Formats: sequence, structure tokens, C-alpha cells
Amino acid sequence: MSQKSPRRDEAPSSTSHPVRQFNDQVGSWTRRVARPTGVQRGAGRMVVALLLAVALFTILNPRVFLSPINLQNIAVAAPEIGIIAIAMMLVMLTGGIDLSLVAIANFSAITISTLHTAVAASDPGLADNLGFLIVLAGIVAGMLGGAFNGFLVSVVGITPILATLATMQIYNGIAIVWTGGSTLYGAPTMLGAIGQAAVANIPLLFIIFVFTAVLVAVLVNRTALGRMIQLEGANTVAARYSAIPRRAVLMKTYTGGGLLAGLAGVLFLARNPTASADYGSSYVLLVIVIAVLGGTNPNGGFASVFGVVLATLTLQVVSSGFTAIRLSSYEYAIAQGVILITVMIIDSISSTRTKRPKKTKAPPGADTTTSDAALVRT
Amino acid sequence: MSARGINKNFGGVPALADVSIDLIPGEVHCLAGENGCGKSTLIKIISGAERPDSGEIIIDGVSFAQINAHAAIQGGIQVIYQDFSLFPNLTVAENIVLTAEVAVGRRLYAPASIRPRAEAILQELDIDLDLDREVGTLSVADKQLTAICRALVNDARAIIMDEPTTALTHTEVSRLFALVERLRTRGVALMFVSHKLEEVLAISQRLTIMRSGRQVVSGPTADFDQRSISSYMTGREVDDSRVVSELDVNAPLALEVTNLSLAGAYRDISFGLHKGEILGVTGLLGSGRTEIAESLFGVEVADEGQIRVAGEVVAIRSIQDAVAAGLGYVPEDRLSQGLFLDKSIADNIVAASLQSHRTRWGMLSRTQTAATIKRFFVGLKINARNADAPVRTLSGGNAQRVVLAKWLATEPTVLMLNGPTVGVDIGSKEEILELLRVEAAKGMSVIIISDDAPELVAACHRVLVIKNGRLTHVLEGDQISVDTIQERMSA
Repeated sequence: MSQKSPRRDEAPSSTSHPVRQFNDQVGSWTRRVARPTGVQRGAGRMVVALLLAVALFTILNPRVFLSPINLQNIAVAAPEIGIIAIAMMLVMLTGGIDLSLVAIANFSAITISTLHTAVAASDPGLADNLGFLIVLAGIVAGMLGGAFNGFLVSVVGITPILATLATMQIYNGIAIVWTGGSTLYGAPTMLGAIGQAAVANIPLLFIIFVFTAVLVAVLVNRTALGRMIQLEGANTVAARYSAIPRRAVLMKTYTGGGLLAGLAGVLFLARNPTASADYGSSYVLLVIVIAVLGGTNPNGGFASVFGVVLATLTLQVVSSGFTAIRLSSYEYAIAQGVILITVMIIDSISSTRTKRPKKTKAPPGADTTTSDAALVRT
Repeated sequence: MSARGINKNFGGVPALADVSIDLIPGEVHCLAGENGCGKSTLIKIISGAERPDSGEIIIDGVSFAQINAHAAIQGGIQVIYQDFSLFPNLTVAENIVLTAEVAVGRRLYAPASIRPRAEAILQELDIDLDLDREVGTLSVADKQLTAICRALVNDARAIIMDEPTTALTHTEVSRLFALVERLRTRGVALMFVSHKLEEVLAISQRLTIMRSGRQVVSGPTADFDQRSISSYMTGREVDDSRVVSELDVNAPLALEVTNLSLAGAYRDISFGLHKGEILGVTGLLGSGRTEIAESLFGVEVADEGQIRVAGEVVAIRSIQDAVAAGLGYVPEDRLSQGLFLDKSIADNIVAASLQSHRTRWGMLSRTQTAATIKRFFVGLKINARNADAPVRTLSGGNAQRVVLAKWLATEPTVLMLNGPTVGVDIGSKEEILELLRVEAAKGMSVIIISDDAPELVAACHRVLVIKNGRLTHVLEGDQISVDTIQERMSA
């Protein structure tokens, strides 16, 4: 957050310069900052997008947009979406997708709420004492949901989009049958406390989000499993020939995705002590948008956790900004699509500009033009 | 057709400098050069896929400063690329005729009108192909024939073939050469791009050699021999003679295979491999040579037989089993099986040895991985600006070094390489073989699976010949020569 403010001050002063120059400046600046931490291009462009979004809504309606309550709202609403988006990113890194993440999150929330209500009915004090175990049960439920996805994808061999479409319906259906379609009230008091708590004015939920993101970033970039996940997504055949255990890697990835979704379910309850089967139904596609915006390659192999965090914040800023200037959620949906397409267009323009020599694709095995150039140079 | 004074730069780096080439009807013109010398760029310019920075292309006396793909086809220039650019889901007949139909602007497709034209061209060239088969199910050689037929239906007067023999067996190559000869007598101008010296000498009347984007020499092929061609190509003398170290006869067996069988692929294969030995396994395509290697590596699990690595019996049921037992395998298809093309050289190098770079906390050790990456990036002389470059940007020889580095990093007891120098230029080829000799001298055992006889002669202590799934000959010492290997392979 502290990195952002000097940039924001500089933005108006650079309006006299060409926009592109500013963009390049920001690009090289973010690259310099981002390179040492191993962050990729997805992060750089999202920093720009986030700053643009903040600047835009600050200009349009500074009084409402910059009000503490609004900023607080962004920081409280972003974590649950962000964590599911990170889960989505993780699965997309293997070249797969998991449509059931939101259903898993709800399932986790419902498990916790039901358990709590059941225990509290006999002994309210016991329910609060067991709060931690009850929350853990919710997360474990999420893990099991993810593990079943992993089983279908890796052992049975069903295409991820179909396997998780089916499990999305199953988990969602079970949740509706279980709750009778009604909204459940009641959650361990500790969750309510977490939802309300803040450290130095930063909501605890947001800190949990950042902490989770850091953990996943370490997993992806600094562990053998993370590298295997990336390689599996980059080229599954070469991964097989490199003795990367595909089943185990996919199993762990989907289980990890389920665990994160379960955690998101806990955050649902922390924000609001109610659980229902149809909560956050618009999240399913939103998290895919966020993951891709954050630099995740839908074909697998490449992603940036930092980019996904920034993309989450950007879309939250746009969402609350739209509220601040009195636009509806439908207009927000339009904006999501427009942002996604714009970023993809900018991406393809900048990649063709830097890769001009490779414009015509050489047939496999033939000397590519860049290698021609490389050899000439030596 | 001729091209005069072609220049082309990529990002300020010259890829072609003042290259001129003539294609004369009834003549086969060979374009030879190492990977990355600019052959492909020249073809792309002639066929209109790339624009030259300067120079002209003359077709039938008409000069073009640059030519687009459409004009090139109108001018009768057809390129047969390595991937043939065929439609795998259409039949042979459709593939042969459709582009011509599209070219004349026909809007409706009538299956009945297609067949006669396709049949006519097959008869004319005396080729035997099933017109109704889907192209996707054809062998490489038959796909190539289909592409050639398509070129002729389009009234090709100049046919450019980009490395046409790379994926063909010996018999298929001679079939192709016979066809090229027939085309030549029909008055077609042919350009044959290759870096295989024997082929160049056998097929062409005129030869142009390129190196680093420059035309080094042009002239009638009769003026050249293998040695002079390779020195023009590499700019130095290349020694392809047999260099084999003295093998310690008492060296322990690193690998012992007993009665290995896989239904439909090979039967009763038994052999031993000493520590530090380089063993060649050869045979025609489909003889079972690749399947044997893949069974040892756990890709296709063998039905029966016993495998011992360093004296211990091992059960190889998966690739992980094989790697755990100390086996490494550089696969046949480097691009899809061996490499993560969009990942960096560094990521590729450690891809198979991630587990051995772990610290106590389950994290990857940065210093250890960096050391491994540096050791192989420098040690194997991988030619790239730095190890962060994606593998996609590398030439064939450098890409193969990355695959090699990946396996050397696992410190295997036995390293198997399937076609280690396919698509690799002469200079790199010699260096890769030398690298294997050095590793073998340090105690690693090597199996080279290949049908490139000169390569086997250059490096192997012994050569196993596989025919129809059986081990038919074991060649040793003086028996190992190009002639004996080729004779035993096909006899």
C-alpha cells in the first residue's frame, strides 16, 4: 500500500507527457521492483490497472470513494474473492480449471454453520469452546471436495472443466438439499470476532488474505511441488518424461484448491454469520476473470500470485467505485468484460511488438528466425 | 526463378546478407548449412512468407522487390515444409486437390470432381497411396508424398523441400530420391534443403552452402566432397572419425537386461552394459528399437523379463521407477517430449532433479539450483544470452543440450538417448557426442538409439542391431562401420 501513494501523486503531473511514456515508465518501474521477487508480467500491468482504477474513481467521486468506510469495504470484501481466485490460479497453473470452488466454499460455510448450530443447541458455551474445531471441520470438508475433484481429474482422467462442472452441481445440490434451500444463521463467535478485528486499521480478513497469498506464492515458486505444478501445466508430455508424478501433482493441486475454497467459506461466515447454498453465485466466473487478468495463462504453466492479488483489488475497486458513482451491478458486469478484453488486447499488442521476428511461425524442428539471428550474432 | 542480393535483418541483426540463388528447370539445387544459418529465412522470403529488406526475386523474367505468398504460388513456387501443412482430418484426395480448387475460386465442393485429378497425379508419378484415407493416419513418408502431389496439382514449376528426409527411414529416403529424379526429368526445378552430407552429394546437381546468413560458396555438386562441404558449413575441419576409449573389460555391469519382451514390439532381448560403455542400439523405424528404450524407461512397461541396474533387480512399472533406479532418457521427439518450450533454460535444466535440490524444510534450495543451472549452462556451452531465455528461442543443437543437461543433473547410472542428434547441425553433433564420451569416461553408461550409422560409428563401443523386434547382431570393434551397420539393419 505504501508503494502506491508516491505513484498516485506523480500521475497528474505526467499528464503533460504522452500517456505511453508514462505507461513505459510505470512498466519499467514495476519491473525493477517486481523482478527480484520473481513476479512476472501479469503483475506489472495490474499495478497500472489498479492505479488507473483508483485514480478514475477518486476523480469521479472523491468524497464517497475515498471515504474510510468505502476503503474498509474493499478490504473486507476482497479477501474471500481473492482467495478463491488464488485457488483458481493454482488449478489453472496445471492447465486445468475448477468450477466447483464457490460451491466448495459454500459447502464449507454450511458445514460450519450447521455444526455450530447443532452443538450450540445443547450447550452454547461448548460451541464457542469448540469453535476452532468446527472451523477446521469446514476447511477439511473443502479439502475433501477438492480431493474428489483431483481424483476425477487425475485418476479417472475426466477433463477438468467437465469433472468440476459435475462436482459443482453435486456440491451445490447437496448444499441445497441439506439446508432445504434456506439461509442458515449462526457461526462460532470467534469468526465474528475475526471479521470485526483490525490491526492498525487494516481488517484482519485482509491480512489473512495477504498471508495466504504469500504462502501460495512460496509454494508455487520456491518448492519442488510448485515447480512440478508449473511444469505439468507447461507441457504435460515433457513433464511425464521428466518423471514428474502427474497423479500426485494434480491430486495435491486440486486438494489445495479445495482447501483454499474451504478457507474462503470460513471468511464468508466471518464477514456475515449466515450461510446459504446460493451465496456468491456470480463469483464462479468472476474468479476466472481475476485469475486471467492477474497473468495466469489459461493453458497452464504460467501464473503470478501477486498479479492475482492485484487483479482482485482492481476489480473490487471498480465494483465499489461503480457503487460510488451510482452504477448498478449489471454495469459492473459489463465493466468486468470490458476490462478483460482490454487487457488481453494490450497484451497481444505488446507481445507482437516485442516478438516481431517470430511473427511467422516456423514449422517444428526448423530453425526459427530468432535462432538464426542468435547464431549470426555470435 | 532466381533471387538476387537478398538482405534481411531481424532487430538489427543480419539474418541474410547478400544471398543470391538460382533455380533452373530440370536441376536439383541443394541448400546446405547448419541450423540457424538462414536457410529457413531464405525459403520464407522466396515463398513470400517474409519480406526481404532489399534484393529482388525474379520469376520468368519478372522482377519483384518483394513477393507475397499468393504471387509466389501463382509463379509456380511450392514449398514443402517439414510439417507438410496438410489437413489431418481430410482424406488424401481432398488434401491433394483442395488448395488448387480454392485457388481457382471454386465455391462449391464436389467430391466426384476431386478424385480423377488426384488419381491422375498419382498415376503420373507412379505413386501408391490410398486416396480415401485420412491424412492424420498416414505415415510421415506418405504425408510427404501427399504434399508433393499437392504441389504438382498446383502446377508447381519450382518445388522447395525443407529437410524432407529428417523423419524418413532409409528405404523411404531412396523412394523419395527416385521421385525427385522423376520430377527433375519432367523439368521441375527443385530446391532441396538439408544438412546431411551424403544426401546432398547423392541428389543434387548444384550446391549452395550457407553459414551465418552468408552464402559461402555455390557451384556444381561434382566439385565438392563430404569433407569440403562440412568444412564450408562449419567453417572448420570436423572430425567424424571413430573415437572410442579403451573399455575396461572388468568394469561391472551397469545394466543387465534378460529376456525382455513386449507383445507386438520386441521379444527376448538380452544384453549387458558395462560401466562407462557407450552402446549403440540400431534398427529400422518400427524395428522395436524405440520401444525397448521406452520399456527400460517405464513408458511402455515390458510384459516379461528382468532388468538389473548396477546389479540390483529393479521393477520398472513407471517412469518414476526408472528414474529412481538411475535411468535417464532423452526422448526421440525433443520438442514435445523433452522440453518445456516456453519455460526458461534454467527451469528446464532442473525439471527432472527437483527432489534432489530440496532443503530440510521442503523448499527448493536457491543456491543449489543456481549452482546446478550454472554448471550445465556453462559446461554444456548452451548458446543463449542467459539461462532465463525461453527454450523456444534456441536452435536444435542448443535445445538438445538443454535436454541433456536436464538428465545429467539427475546423475544417472545409465543415460539412454533416442536420436540424440536428429535436427542438430554438424558442429553441435560432434560436440554432443564428445560430451557423451566425456561423461562415459567419468563412469556413466550410455545407450544411443539411432539409425544414423556414422554417429554410431563415431561414438559406440558396441552396436546392437534390432530387426523385427529381435536382437539379430551384436557388432564389436572393427565390425562397426557405416557399411556393416546399414547392411545388418536392412538385411
